[in-house]
Amino acid sequence: MTGGARLAWICGGLLLLLAAVVLGSLLVGAAPVAPATVFDLITGRGPGQGTERTVVLSIRLPRIAAALLAGGALAVAGAGFQALTRNPLAEPSILGVSGGAAFGVVLGQVSGLGQGIVEALGLTALGFAGALVAGVAVYLIASSADGLPVHTLLLAGVIVGIFFSAAITVLISIVDTNRLGGVIHWLLGSVAPIPPGSLGVFALATAVGLWLVLGQARALNLLALGDEGALELGVDALGVKRRIFAGAALLTGTVVAFVGPIGFVGLIVPQALRMLLGPDNRVLVPAALLAGGAFLLAADTLARSVVAPAELSVGVLTSFCGAPVFIWLLRSRIGRTAP
Amino acid sequence: MTGLPRALALCLLLVPGSAPALTVMDQTGRALDLPAAPRRIVSLVPGVTEILFAIGAQDALVGVTDFCDYPAAARRKARVGDMLAPNLETLVSLKPDLVVATRSGNREETFDQLKRLGLPVYLVDEPPSIAGVLRLVGGLGQLTGRQDAAAAVTAGLERRIASVRERVADRPRPRVLYVLWPEPLIVPGRGSLISELIASAGGESVTADQAQGYPRMSLEAAVGRAPEVIILARHGGGTGPAAREQWRRLESLPAIRSGRLYAADGDLLHRYGPRVADGLELLARLIHPEAFR
Repeated sequence: MTGGARLAWICGGLLLLLAAVVLGSLLVGAAPVAPATVFDLITGRGPGQGTERTVVLSIRLPRIAAALLAGGALAVAGAGFQALTRNPLAEPSILGVSGGAAFGVVLGQVSGLGQGIVEALGLTALGFAGALVAGVAVYLIASSADGLPVHTLLLAGVIVGIFFSAAITVLISIVDTNRLGGVIHWLLGSVAPIPPGSLGVFALATAVGLWLVLGQARALNLLALGDEGALELGVDALGVKRRIFAGAALLTGTVVAFVGPIGFVGLIVPQALRMLLGPDNRVLVPAALLAGGAFLLAADTLARSVVAPAELSVGVLTSFCGAPVFIWLLRSRIGRTAP
Repeated sequence: MTGLPRALALCLLLVPGSAPALTVMDQTGRALDLPAAPRRIVSLVPGVTEILFAIGAQDALVGVTDFCDYPAAARRKARVGDMLAPNLETLVSLKPDLVVATRSGNREETFDQLKRLGLPVYLVDEPPSIAGVLRLVGGLGQLTGRQDAAAAVTAGLERRIASVRERVADRPRPRVLYVLWPEPLIVPGRGSLISELIASAGGESVTADQAQGYPRMSLEAAVGRAPEVIILARHGGGTGPAAREQWRRLESLPAIRSGRLYAADGDLLHRYGPRVADGLELLARLIHPEAFR
């Protein structure tokens, strides 16, 4: 099979999976809405007003859109960071990049940025800036003469993450204990219905980030050969790295601005896909986009139905799934590199 | 007086802990032995601060929390910090002879610390209800020797509460969603004061069936109960207006379509204090405006 055909098959399969998850998510929820009513409402034939319309069109649908965007963006950001650092454990939350983004966003929140479109842009910009600062800091701390050693990189990420979470605590304590509960809830990472205008900003910023990373999938493969190898094949390694880094940071900052720092999606999804599909980034990155969306949407659907009528924060669920995967990867990697 | 009885009397006075001058029951039914009626009270509960002012016992109040903002004179009392983490040094330096506290809002660690410092703690907790608030007013009146003033306050509150109940009786009871906190969504459940206030104001709280006092609920579950009136609690931080937009977007909802999205001062409704009648009247006016024309 040619590369193009294989990619088409894989994406086709993932799209089907995605459609199934979306369908399930539309039908499941704390409020009882008959499947037939859901279909009528989605196809524009349903009742023009009423509670069911609100539940399906104003609550479930925007939440599904937000989960898809966030999941796809996080998985692509994870795949990007992993290729960039040549380290399968790299992921926005582990690298401290989410923490930096969260600091930027909390800074915006405590200074009174609310829910409008302009505010959404402002929060995204702050999240992006925070992600950039954290990412650069981790890189500077961890880089040495022989590149980016795995353990140093992880430790640097953890330390930067701790630093920013302390900074967030300081910000909240200074400003207003009344907001503490809200910010803590947001820090757990929850997908909530986002107003249409802000959702547009979310989609646009995500699209720019995806363009930056997806366009470099071939160059990412060559980077796996090492900088010299890539250079021999005509790849401007530094330029590619900068572009991927900016893209992944933008994706992370955007997701954090809209749904909070949801961890481990960028780890689990690319990892599972690498096992299934192999390491070719030209397949892996687009597949991560679709599978990440499906994964986070499935997790969020679970989060809002398992303890209904209450609900869990989706970040809690992804961490539950992600932590064991991370431990397993770490152990198997140590096993391999042990003398 | 002869020598022996005098010596005996002196001994009695010197034996520590013997024959306390005053034994009071706090609202949890615990007996507190106090050497004398308290003259220097620290209140760790905003509602208690309000009650002490309402019954004219404010002179016996020497310290309050940062949240004790009513009446205005309460702000001039010495502050010991917030409810969760009062500053013990500040508290002790006020030389209190009694600390009034609550299990819902203060922490067990604080009670332990106060116990180690030998400070008696009067707990105000009992299952929350309007009747419980009235009993608390009476209890604090007894504690501070202001029984008559407390009885007058209680009678006034009872009168106003009965008057509201009368006005809304026999009217249809709209489904009311009360939002304590928007993100995450926290609502009043069974056995919370607000649920009883909503019922007394002639409404039917759509979340009153929840077992916990203040459960977290998904937006969908709350909206799925088709509320006809939505009341958003405003807190000190002024989180009301921002959350209002979020609700207004749910335009297909009965409450939003008929323009029945309101904000209410949470301090009137969440505090177990003398303004509970104001809270009830406010709720009744929002739920049954026609009854107050």
